[in-house]
Amino acid sequence: MKPEDLLVRPRPTAKCTAGCPVLDHCLGGGVPCRSVTEVVGESGCGKTQLCLQLLLSAQLPPSRGGLSASSLYLHSEFPFPLRRLRQLARARPMGPRHDPLEHIFVHPLHSAHHLLDVMPKLESFVENFKSQFPVRLVVIDSIAALFRSEFDNNPLDLKRRSSMFFKIAGKLKWLAEKFDLAVVVTNQVVDLVAPNEGINGLRIGNLGCLDSSGRRVCAALGLAWANCVNSRLFLSKDKEIVSTVNDMRDGCGCEPMHCGTRRRLHLLFAPHIPDTSCEYVITREGVSGVCR
Amino acid sequence: MEVGRLPISAALKGKLVSAGYTSLSLLSSLSPSHLARDLNISENEALDILKHAPHDGRIDTSSGHHIISGAQTAWDMLHEEELLTRITTSSVEIDNILGGGISCREVTEIGGVPGIGKTQLGIQLAVNVQLPVHCGGLGGKAIYIDTEGSFMVERVLQIAEACWDDMLANNAISQNVHAGQVGMQPKDFLENILYFRVCSYTEQIALINYLDKFISEHRDVKIVVVDSITFHFRQDFEDMALRTRLLSGMALKLMKLAKKFCLAVVLLNQVTTKYAEGSFQLTLALGDSWSHACTNRIILYWNGNERYAYIDKSPSLRSASAPYAVTARGIRNNVSNCKRIKLM
Repeated sequence: MKPEDLLVRPRPTAKCTAGCPVLDHCLGGGVPCRSVTEVVGESGCGKTQLCLQLLLSAQLPPSRGGLSASSLYLHSEFPFPLRRLRQLARARPMGPRHDPLEHIFVHPLHSAHHLLDVMPKLESFVENFKSQFPVRLVVIDSIAALFRSEFDNNPLDLKRRSSMFFKIAGKLKWLAEKFDLAVVVTNQVVDLVAPNEGINGLRIGNLGCLDSSGRRVCAALGLAWANCVNSRLFLSKDKEIVSTVNDMRDGCGCEPMHCGTRRRLHLLFAPHIPDTSCEYVITREGVSGVCR
Repeated sequence: MEVGRLPISAALKGKLVSAGYTSLSLLSSLSPSHLARDLNISENEALDILKHAPHDGRIDTSSGHHIISGAQTAWDMLHEEELLTRITTSSVEIDNILGGGISCREVTEIGGVPGIGKTQLGIQLAVNVQLPVHCGGLGGKAIYIDTEGSFMVERVLQIAEACWDDMLANNAISQNVHAGQVGMQPKDFLENILYFRVCSYTEQIALINYLDKFISEHRDVKIVVVDSITFHFRQDFEDMALRTRLLSGMALKLMKLAKKFCLAVVLLNQVTTKYAEGSFQLTLALGDSWSHACTNRIILYWNGNERYAYIDKSPSLRSASAPYAVTARGIRNNVSNCKRIKLM
């Protein structure tokens, strides 16, 4: 056994751009390789959108912040959003002979055990994949869905469940290290019923409490899983009422109101970047950060 | 003559004496290759001689009151303890409650929730150990064992640069050392961190078994950081008794390393929930038997928006807590707290 030479190790660690300079700034350059990054958020806040965008931006050359790489998308939520992916791909033309969809591999997942079964296949796939675009990005969308049905809420099952977390995370991190992969997993949130009481109110990360759509939430899968990821991002959304036109002259009394959604990305914890947050919008072209 | 009592062959004894090595203290700070060159013997033989010689000159075997070799009186131990060096954490307040920093010859466990700054503290210590003694370091190297993959070189460089800055400022004030004499650059800090990435528990155990040999060849290592000791031991164990045995074996080895080479061992641990007295409580992972394994235990926790370090277990320090902050420059004092003190 020999120590690794830190001067030879890529410095800074290779990053995969999130596809927008504002988000990249927030993430310290993008999603890091050799590391597991988790995206937490309620449904409809844009987790899958962000993942799809990563699948595309990973194919960009390093000069544009990408990894020149193919990617692997393991999904446990159905169906696979193919139409949206094509829409995003069309918004990002990469050249005449480059069809982005050719460099994205999709595999369904049905349970946590299925994921563990797929892992060795995944390894040999990444190892034997000969292309000018090697696989450098693995996305699991979502990890929470795999665990939500299979395990009961009794001590024995919870213990089995957390041992499973560490097994999966151990394998993922090993793959990430071996092949210099960026691993992204998404996670759902659960409502906090009794805030500030016992373990449920436990603070993990930079934010004192997580609010989304006016509810207090926390990341699903609990404390044990939080120990398994290297960085955690939290996506939140809130209703925002914007009055677009203040048109009271015709006196109909009905003020035209516009209901928008204010979305925010928070960095909960990461070994390499400080506490930050930024607002973002989801448009036809994809997810992009907003400077305010 | 002292060398006469070494359990080595007469021929080697003769060579030692003729080369001028008459007292054991002369052997204490030698490297095997140096000795091999001096005596014109193989490096293995030199290593064998050094193995029998005391590793630090302080243990004086010539005075006759040692009935069992290796035993010490409490008086000697007190003297040794006074000489004991500590590694600064870069937060004056944490250093204060720790009596100056993380101490050598001991195993210190640091635990806390994800994102509280365990890895940051681990990296900070791996950098600080390289500082010269008057800056709070030991001028030694660090071994960093990464089991989780949270060690980011760019962050280490950032902390090293800040540390280097502070060191220059410190030198400029004290005027003891000229900047040119320091001769250390931020990137040298990286060179002096011996980094191992460990991907399974078997690898982890193998590495820790190998450390004894590795450190005897790299005597300038002054800290071993394991980030985290826990990760691989929370998966795949059907037989919990086996896990406990493996862990306590590992803890013993680490403790032996700390004593033998006079270095600090820092183990980072995760937290878990434990069901006790009708409610769930937070506790460090790996179970009750593990809590005996470390000499010192520090728990990091959130208090409102501030990070705190708490001494949970220590044979010599009273339990106390202190706030700290994780900044771009690394672990530092909590600034808002300092302001409060000034106001009072």
